[in-house]
Amino acid sequence: MSAPTIPGTASVSSAVLHGRCPHCGTAVEGADDAFCCHGCEIAAAIIRGAGLERYYQERELCAPRPEPVSGAWDRVPVEQREDGCSEARLVVDGLRCASCVWVTERVLEQTPGVTAATVSYATGRATLVWNPSITTLGALARRIAALGYRPRPLTEAAKPDRDLALRLGVALFASMNIMLLAASVYAGWWSTMEPRYAALFHWTSLALATPVALWCAAPFFAGAWSGLRHRQLQMDLPIALGISILYGHGLIATLRGEDSYLDSLAMLVALLLAGRMLEARGRRRAAEAAVALAASVPPTARRETATGLETVPVDQLRHDDRIDVGAGDEFAADGLVTEGSGQVRMALLTGETDPVPVAPGDRVVAGALLLDGALTVRVEAVGEETLVHRMAQGLEAAADRGVEPTAGDRIAPWFTAITLAVGALTFGGWILASGLQPAIARTVAVLVVACPCALALSQPLAAAAGLGATARRGLLFRSADALLRLRRIDLVAIDKTGTLTGGAPRVVEADDATLRIAAGLERYSNHPIGRAIVAEAARREIPLPRATEVREVAGAGVSGQLDGQTWELRSGGPGSVRLRSTGGEERTIRLADEARADAAGTVAALHGLGLKVVLLTGDHAVIAERLASATGIRETIARMDPAAKADWVRARQAEGHHVLFAGDGLNDGPALAAADVGIAMGHGAASSVLVADGVVSSDALGPILAGLRASRASHRVIGSNQRRSLVYNALAVGAAVAGLVNPLVAAVLMPLSSGMVIWGASRVETLVRKEETWTG
Amino acid sequence: MDGIIFLLPVALLLGAIFAGLFLYAVDRGQFDDLDDPPERILHD
Repeated sequence: MSAPTIPGTASVSSAVLHGRCPHCGTAVEGADDAFCCHGCEIAAAIIRGAGLERYYQERELCAPRPEPVSGAWDRVPVEQREDGCSEARLVVDGLRCASCVWVTERVLEQTPGVTAATVSYATGRATLVWNPSITTLGALARRIAALGYRPRPLTEAAKPDRDLALRLGVALFASMNIMLLAASVYAGWWSTMEPRYAALFHWTSLALATPVALWCAAPFFAGAWSGLRHRQLQMDLPIALGISILYGHGLIATLRGEDSYLDSLAMLVALLLAGRMLEARGRRRAAEAAVALAASVPPTARRETATGLETVPVDQLRHDDRIDVGAGDEFAADGLVTEGSGQVRMALLTGETDPVPVAPGDRVVAGALLLDGALTVRVEAVGEETLVHRMAQGLEAAADRGVEPTAGDRIAPWFTAITLAVGALTFGGWILASGLQPAIARTVAVLVVACPCALALSQPLAAAAGLGATARRGLLFRSADALLRLRRIDLVAIDKTGTLTGGAPRVVEADDATLRIAAGLERYSNHPIGRAIVAEAARREIPLPRATEVREVAGAGVSGQLDGQTWELRSGGPGSVRLRSTGGEERTIRLADEARADAAGTVAALHGLGLKVVLLTGDHAVIAERLASATGIRETIARMDPAAKADWVRARQAEGHHVLFAGDGLNDGPALAAADVGIAMGHGAASSVLVADGVVSSDALGPILAGLRASRASHRVIGSNQRRSLVYNALAVGAAVAGLVNPLVAAVLMPLSSGMVIWGASRVETLVRKEETWTG
Repeated sequence: MDGIIFLLPVALLLGAIFAGLFLYAVDRGQFDDLDDPPERILHD
């Protein structure tokens, strides 16, 4: 759900903001210390109570306005530590500056029961350690929310991969030492070295190289083995082959007192592990962000009992229980309304934002939001039986795209076959020409320099660089695969509500005086229209007045007194609200769900890349056409239901198109799953995020464009890297066949070729920037 | 030149101690987050 952005981003220079809310900086009428809403007042009280007033002097940007949060905190994986404490990780949105991080950490640390709290500014991750007998994760999350930041549960907390770091550390330690020893051994070729010293150096090298070959390189052997078992020749196979030959040769050479390639072996393993680590780091960041879901089913519900109400976890709800749902709550279960009335927002399920009025006899579904009013609901389906859960499950199954073999994996079988053939020819040729001894040495040299270290690094490194470049621009991919698939896209289909548009109404027409009164009435409202009015008033810097006797009537509007008159704010038909005074004055405010600010620019740039852009929507053709012409989209298909969108995507694919689909609702799920690349808006339905390949983490369309550019840049770099490393391999193998390669030559060539590939990957960001300056 | 027979193991031992310290640091999570600590010291 995207809340209207409050311009709390006003910069602050002193602790006291004149005529503004001291916490969020929204303009307010009255005394200097008047808060704009209860949320800000509570946030400031928490900060003052913790003795952290310094925050107000040091912050560079005002805080966001606090909003209530819900989330499946009980589903966050919690680690039980040995000291009896629990540990878990959350994502925190809305951290705007280092002061935000500071105040959040300190407030958490001073909360009873918390033993440690760290918040990361770079990644927005909070790591919490608390005593479960004193507090709960939900309570801590609400504490973060009370400050104005938005915590989200991390459903699959990926722990940093320490195993890879350990292997890399050992490989680096060993390879550095072996290199030092090897330098003196090679120096011994030109001066003299006593055999006993040479033997000492050889044996020491072997001792150092053994853990590298047997333990550090284990991931490559495991990869090659699993590839073989699945009858797939992957890049790991020639690598594992190369490592075995290098180590086997080193073992025999050391026994015979000859020079070995062990320095090359250790260096190669260290480089490959470093490449893996960079790749894993980029991927972990992206994947973690993608699984951070705003889970839309609340973890508890208020159940009616014989004596009153009790709060129970959702999994204890049974059929025919009666639950009470208040304004601002999400439904915990599917059910039938038995009492009360109100307006329900189903945007997560249907994609359309207009509230739906409900009354006794209507059905409601879990995950929908009650905007106003109060209801009693008889539970008909809970947990896994709910509509939202069944749809999400079906989508997850549909989105299983499998893993595409990388370009490297496609080359691998040929590569292995050619290497083995050349090795056999070399052996045969030299055994005829000069006997067994030189034949073995040269064959080993061929197999050593053919080890495709640079080739294996070229794709993962460039893809990791591409993932980093897109992540910095607000698009997070679940896998490098999806990023690379983007290049083939020739058709971009965009959903209307919440994707092309912001998903929430915005004020498009109102004079300042009208807006001031309306904002005064709606000051404490949670209704999207009320929030839009307050947000627009804040944007225009109209100080919020304080209305008295404010009364909200479910589904009807709001009334209150201001400036000595009684005002009434009511719906005035589609897209407008009417403000009426007792004196008979009548004014209108028009609202619309408008295209995102960067929509037209993004569409133009997509056209510039040669892509076709189509608008798909479940809405009326008239509204869709108007938006399409405002943003420059040439083709619109209106009145499509979820299945029709997915069918449309499949039909285009059948015509040979590669389709990118961008959407946000649960209704977009089938199309997101069917598309070649599905991109979800981060504030959309949890299930759409689950089935998408990528998630836009900012409130904009531009990141999709950045993703397309990064994909092209990554492909260019992968291509040139692969050509370079193939040329290197061909030349080096040629030299080895001719008998020109010895351990020293190999020790120089190998890091050179890998360094070339690493340099190539570092150019991805440069290429993306270049395209951005060319095409705007 | 005979000193090398003594010095080489000593050098390796020293290296191994540092490698051991590194492994200990990895195990304690010192390398889990490389982005935030530089920002953090600016604010304490």
